[in-house]
Amino acid sequence: MKTKKLLALLLCAMMVSALFACAQPAAPATEAPAAEATEAAAAETTEAPPAEKVTLTFSLWGDPAEQEVTQKTLDVYNNSQDKVYVQALQIGRDEYNEKLQTMATAGEMPDCGMVAEDTVIGWAKDGLLMDIDIYAGQENLPLDYLAFKYDGKTVAYSAANEVLALWYNKAMFDAAGIPYPPTSLDQAWTWDQFVEVAKQLTIDANGKHPGDAGFNKDNIVQYGAYVNQYTWQLEVWALSNGGSFFSPDGKSVVFDDAAIEAIQKVVDLHLVDNVAPLNDGTQDNGFTSSIGAGNVAMCTEGQWATGFRGAGFDGIDYGVAVLPYMKEKVTIATGGPTGVFATTKHPQEAADFLRWYNSEENGMNTIMAGWWMPTKQNYYTDETLLKSWVDDCAFRAALPADAYKTAIVDVALDTNVTHQSAWYYTPNMFDVIRTLQPAMVEAINGSKTVKEVIDSVRDAMQANLG
Amino acid sequence: MKNKTKRTNNACKEQRAAYLFLIPALLGLTLITYIPLLAVFGISLTDLNVGHFIKGGTMPPVQFVGFQNFREIFQNPNIDFLNSIKVTVVFALLAVVCSIVYSMLIAMLLNRKMPARGFFRAVFYIPYILPAASVMISWWFLLKYDGGLINYILVNLGLGKSYFLSAANTAIPSLAMIAVWTSGNLIVIFLAGLQNVPRVYHEAAEIDGANAWQRFWNITIPCMTPIIFYNLLMSLVVNLQVVVPALAVTKGGPGKSTMFMTYLMYQIGFRGRELGQAGAIAFVFFIVAAILAFILFATSKSWIYNEGGDDQK
Amino acid sequence: MNESAVQPSRVKKGSLKRYSFKSKKRSEKIADTLSLLIIIFMAALVMLPLWWMVRSSLMKSIEIFKWPPQFFPSEWLFSNYNIKPTTFDFWRYLGNTLTIVVPCVVFGTITAIFCGYAFARLRFKGKTFLFSLCVGSMLLPTMVTLIPLYIAWASLGLTDTYWPLILPYLCGGGAFNIFLIRQFIKTLPRELDESAAIDGAGYMRTLVSIIIPSIGPAIIVVALLIFISTWNDLLQQTIYISSREKYTMAVGLTTFMGSFKNDYAGMFAATCLSFLPGVIVYLFGQRYFVEGIVMTGMKN
Repeated sequence: MKTKKLLALLLCAMMVSALFACAQPAAPATEAPAAEATEAAAAETTEAPPAEKVTLTFSLWGDPAEQEVTQKTLDVYNNSQDKVYVQALQIGRDEYNEKLQTMATAGEMPDCGMVAEDTVIGWAKDGLLMDIDIYAGQENLPLDYLAFKYDGKTVAYSAANEVLALWYNKAMFDAAGIPYPPTSLDQAWTWDQFVEVAKQLTIDANGKHPGDAGFNKDNIVQYGAYVNQYTWQLEVWALSNGGSFFSPDGKSVVFDDAAIEAIQKVVDLHLVDNVAPLNDGTQDNGFTSSIGAGNVAMCTEGQWATGFRGAGFDGIDYGVAVLPYMKEKVTIATGGPTGVFATTKHPQEAADFLRWYNSEENGMNTIMAGWWMPTKQNYYTDETLLKSWVDDCAFRAALPADAYKTAIVDVALDTNVTHQSAWYYTPNMFDVIRTLQPAMVEAINGSKTVKEVIDSVRDAMQANLG
Repeated sequence: MKNKTKRTNNACKEQRAAYLFLIPALLGLTLITYIPLLAVFGISLTDLNVGHFIKGGTMPPVQFVGFQNFREIFQNPNIDFLNSIKVTVVFALLAVVCSIVYSMLIAMLLNRKMPARGFFRAVFYIPYILPAASVMISWWFLLKYDGGLINYILVNLGLGKSYFLSAANTAIPSLAMIAVWTSGNLIVIFLAGLQNVPRVYHEAAEIDGANAWQRFWNITIPCMTPIIFYNLLMSLVVNLQVVVPALAVTKGGPGKSTMFMTYLMYQIGFRGRELGQAGAIAFVFFIVAAILAFILFATSKSWIYNEGGDDQK
Repeated sequence: MNESAVQPSRVKKGSLKRYSFKSKKRSEKIADTLSLLIIIFMAALVMLPLWWMVRSSLMKSIEIFKWPPQFFPSEWLFSNYNIKPTTFDFWRYLGNTLTIVVPCVVFGTITAIFCGYAFARLRFKGKTFLFSLCVGSMLLPTMVTLIPLYIAWASLGLTDTYWPLILPYLCGGGAFNIFLIRQFIKTLPRELDESAAIDGAGYMRTLVSIIIPSIGPAIIVVALLIFISTWNDLLQQTIYISSREKYTMAVGLTTFMGSFKNDYAGMFAATCLSFLPGVIVYLFGQRYFVEGIVMTGMKN
């Protein structure tokens, strides 16, 4: 009996000590690297806010590179004045809405922060966003299309501007002896020209192109084109073909024949033309898994693709061009918005901070890293200002800068060409995407036509719009 | 007479000891599970939205709507809850059956003497340790239609490519396969169970000339039934609650083939803000899970071999 | 205890049938080899996705997508693991996570043993009802009760602390684990604790001296399960933890993944790092049930 008891005790002791043994090295270890990471430690020690200041919490997502830049930006703001202290609340992109909405149920939302593009209008409608125009009474305003409007009132502005463009791998064009894609609108390729070039750039393991005898579509080593199939990006092709997704007031679903035809052409790049890899729009990350992967010659992506030069893709030399068109030369714009949350006790301070944060002078780091474009009109029209973020930015200069100016800057300024993405004016875009995106996969893999898919979800999307 | 009082005294003592042992669980069950569950049921009878929590907000006041949310989730084709129940149950059953067979087989093999046994056990267990979302992203890379390793192997073996997660009819089997891959915890529990099968039984049977299959069927399986039952139940419950694959990769598609119940609830209540509808979905989910668990319990009486059981009162 | 299960002397005594020791040995050998081959094959299959993560963490991001797929990095970039603490503060996350995990595992396991024992062996009023409640609580995903619970914790002022993540585990360590312990105790013969009762042992003593030593592997399993479930509990950790200095491994990892997901190699490296402690704890724990700490009194 005694030995058993002893064994039992020993066992328990072993278990507990085993766990604590595992825990032990952690304690000193936490201190050791903390000493190494003096930057981080320093940032934290300065964080204790003086009592008399108003403390604001600013929530954001973003990859670590961005977060580091953000922290520096906040430090600048905190040191620039002595009334307000802003602290960052970083949340993973995938958990962002859940966290903020849960916080809202306990009245604990941050004072201000980024808002997911597809839920801005929904949050405004349900009262999570404060009805405050951070640029009220200001002169230098962002480009018109960067304002999120609900019920005719502006509820949030994008902190950045992004337009879609065509990106291409220079080496692949050189190897095929094909001239680079056009960089100005007046020379833009038609869709058929685009497909034709894509065919020449698509190569299977035996060096054959689509249409050649013996071409093996299951063993393609280089694809000609990759058109991003995120639901919101597909809208550009509907517009290009003279169709549309929604009515201009955002209240009804259109998805006319022109829109359906356009999307069918996009999915046919894979299904019929065999120039594109299958891309079901769920996890795909346009640029990264196409040009960045080094096996696609051209892809469509937002301006942020410029930033990939600084993110490990420097081995690939890529350029920018204008999107091909079907009937009309168009692109769409978007940009991560910021807003003041309804539970804040300091709406004015929060609005002042956001205006400061959204201004180019203070957000230059992200602009120069290639991820963002400025939002204010004068940064596109004033020669000196334009030079400061295009010619003087190494990543843009490498595209090169002239191509960037015609393919991106001129396009972004031309409001006949650049349209707002639907989520600037459509309520419940999140719900619409939730309905449409999974359904679209069945068109993308060819088991249904785009028309069949759209007809099957048309009523549901209309219900989503509310 | 004296004997009887002694017995009741003992029973009293036993009962008191039991309640003392159960204090932590009872606290947890009431405070962390059932009171919040009642709250959720209450919410499901209202049109509560996250916006209602904003003081001075723009939402009209909360209304009691009776069972309208329940009607809504079943009748609104946009929500299509029946489809969600169907795909969830189909997925769960497929995943449960495959993982139980797989993990029992692996555990039996790993229980034999072999070189590097510890290493192999670790190999089969590690998939369970990994963060589920990272696992899904890894698998997504492997299962991609164009550029995925698995399709590369299939093509080189002369077999055709498969769409895996990108087609409605292959998505559920693919996810079930991933669930099987992740079922290392079942293997460990089976292994622990196999350790508990008294070796004397095997020895005796061997001496009686029983072959391996007979020993497996007549000794191992009966001794393991409580453990098999536990693994069945746990695997059923975990797989009914499946949400990460949809969250991380499939987003409910292709079509509605992976619009699992929990994911639908997540979409409506967490990414969306309709807490009332989400509450209704949660409640129906609870009932569906309870029915399946009840069926499992009801049938278990006939096949669980209960050596130390006391259920015969 | 003895590995050479079949002792010739016992065979002679116990077996009436013809018993060929040699052929038995040979067939055992074939079975052993066969099962080893199957295990190697299956292990290779299971390892494939794991290897894919590891090899992806050691190459350049662009190489990850290469066609045909590369089994090995062209250049082994261990430098991918050298992630700046400002972006992925491994040691801090490890310390924080262990602050949550260790009490959960220790007290969760102990309370699970208490409750499992009561349900398996003791007779008391309302047992069936309480047990049904216990099983019922397993059927609920955490997501269901998250909002009411959050409101409750917030009203106690305990958000952005670890208490909402730890305290629930002090209450029985979760119904799954109570249930697991109960099932294992049920596989034990009743005579075992009855003999202890005859010796005049109380319930606590029976539990500690008889039951616990007999279900050693199960206890290790429960500890491992609690470890893993608290380690990977991303949803609750994200909801409750806000300050950067309180980040856990799971929260740190998901924040690291960021919005553009451009740094795939770094993402895989961080993922591999994040599960490394889990692997180590597993390897430590498995020693105990690989050795087989089965000390059932019946066997002697």
